[in-house]
Amino acid sequence: MRRSADGPPRRTRRGVTDFQIKLITLAGLLLLWEALSRLGYISPLVLPRPTRLATTLWDLSVYGFPKDITVWLHIRATLWRIVQGYLLAAVFAIPCGLIIGRYYLLERGTNPIITFARSVATISLLPLAIAWFGVSELSRVLLIMYGAFWAILTNTIQGARSVDVNLINAGRMFAATRGRIFFRVILPATLPRIFAGLKIALGISFMVIIAVEMIGTVEGLGALIQQARFFYKSDMAIDGTIFIGILGLILSLLLDWVERLTLPWAVGLEEVKR
Amino acid sequence: MRTARLRQGLIASWSGFLLLILLWQLISSALIPDPSTFPGPVQVVRSTMQNLTLARLLQHLGISLQRIGLGFAIGAVLGIGLGVACGWYRTLGSVLRTPIELLRPVPPLAWIPLAIIWLGLGEGSKVFIIFLGAFFPVFTNTFKGMTTIEPNIVRSAQMLGLKGRRLLLRVVVPATMPDIATGIRLGWSYSFGCMVAAELIAAQSGLGYLIMHAREIGVTAIIVFGIVLIGLTNLITDYLIQELILKRKLRWHFLGTEQA
Repeated sequence: MRRSADGPPRRTRRGVTDFQIKLITLAGLLLLWEALSRLGYISPLVLPRPTRLATTLWDLSVYGFPKDITVWLHIRATLWRIVQGYLLAAVFAIPCGLIIGRYYLLERGTNPIITFARSVATISLLPLAIAWFGVSELSRVLLIMYGAFWAILTNTIQGARSVDVNLINAGRMFAATRGRIFFRVILPATLPRIFAGLKIALGISFMVIIAVEMIGTVEGLGALIQQARFFYKSDMAIDGTIFIGILGLILSLLLDWVERLTLPWAVGLEEVKR
Repeated sequence: MRTARLRQGLIASWSGFLLLILLWQLISSALIPDPSTFPGPVQVVRSTMQNLTLARLLQHLGISLQRIGLGFAIGAVLGIGLGVACGWYRTLGSVLRTPIELLRPVPPLAWIPLAIIWLGLGEGSKVFIIFLGAFFPVFTNTFKGMTTIEPNIVRSAQMLGLKGRRLLLRVVVPATMPDIATGIRLGWSYSFGCMVAAELIAAQSGLGYLIMHAREIGVTAIIVFGIVLIGLTNLITDYLIQELILKRKLRWHFLGTEQA
């Protein structure tokens, strides 16, 4: 145990909690922004004021931009792409990782390839994907899949490789078959790492799709902000970016929740994620 | 027996790598004999050398490295500085972290359109995106390191009479270094991805532009060459940061973890 939960020496201020300070800061920032904008210190073309952003939000969710594509449709398009690519990656990466991680020579043999494939920036594959599959949904989904795949794969391999030998031996002592040991011992012992990989992969997929949508489509949150940029509608670009942030936050909270639900025994998960 | 196993592993590594290249060449010459769609490794190198001079290639590489160096340096310095400040001064931390935590879930690449609106199509917008890619991981890891420091280390230092800035710089910051190192490594890989994406979407030079331009003129070989070059650059720079800087500076920390 290197560290404990309590932090550095803290001076507690009576009366004002951490949350209250944050709330006041936020309100103050918004007020300052609105005031500076109204007094003419910030150009509305560069940084529209908060009230303007609120009315634009209404326009985006009712009338849409480009015409008739409301922000909800953009979100649906983005989410659907993520779901496809992400699930495909998970379906292939988890079994591959479990197998590779259990065989030393296989692990060594694939290691340089995996290391290199991970270093290839997923976005850099976009031109190749376009050359092969055109500017299509397939290209987008495959790129998400590529980005997510290696993150899940490497984490699964790490997990499968470092399953406690004593656990496996204990299983053998109870005369469990190889298949039974695999499903009842190795798989559960690897799950925390698989979830760590799934989490990282979700962040990567989200990042990849936003960038990929900026090229060659009008549907999706990335397309929304890029189109807004073309038409110099900074209020729409900012609102779109806010939506992306909220969506990213929801996705990561969702994964936290799933993790707690499926891995109630993994309380010290912080220790494993390395 | 252990060394024999290690040697086997090393042989497996190399043969896996060579097998892949061989397989690539075989597929390209036997199954898909169309170099304009699926060039093999030999065609990739040959065709790239025909279309590009080495000087031009190095120029693109240099510009990319310059951008990422500048953006990453600003991001890392600000990330460490603000992370340490937010961890040390509680009220300041609460105030500053409010906007930072709000902006953190936005992927850096989502800032590209706004960066272009604010900073134009010049170098500024690219450096800004790379900066964002580095800043958030460095900041969050530094802050996490500051707040999860072993309290007994601080207590013993206080007992020995250290306080104020000396306590911060001599004890607390060094104890946070492993987390800062994690942040720096993460930040580098994020800013690398950001650099490629930013150059792909809005640039007239750099590695990202090189491959996007190659697609426009329809030379698949250059695209593949560029992808490999980007991957190798990422791999090498990451290795340099990890092995030469972080491991050397933090030998005391990594020694402990490797034995465990």
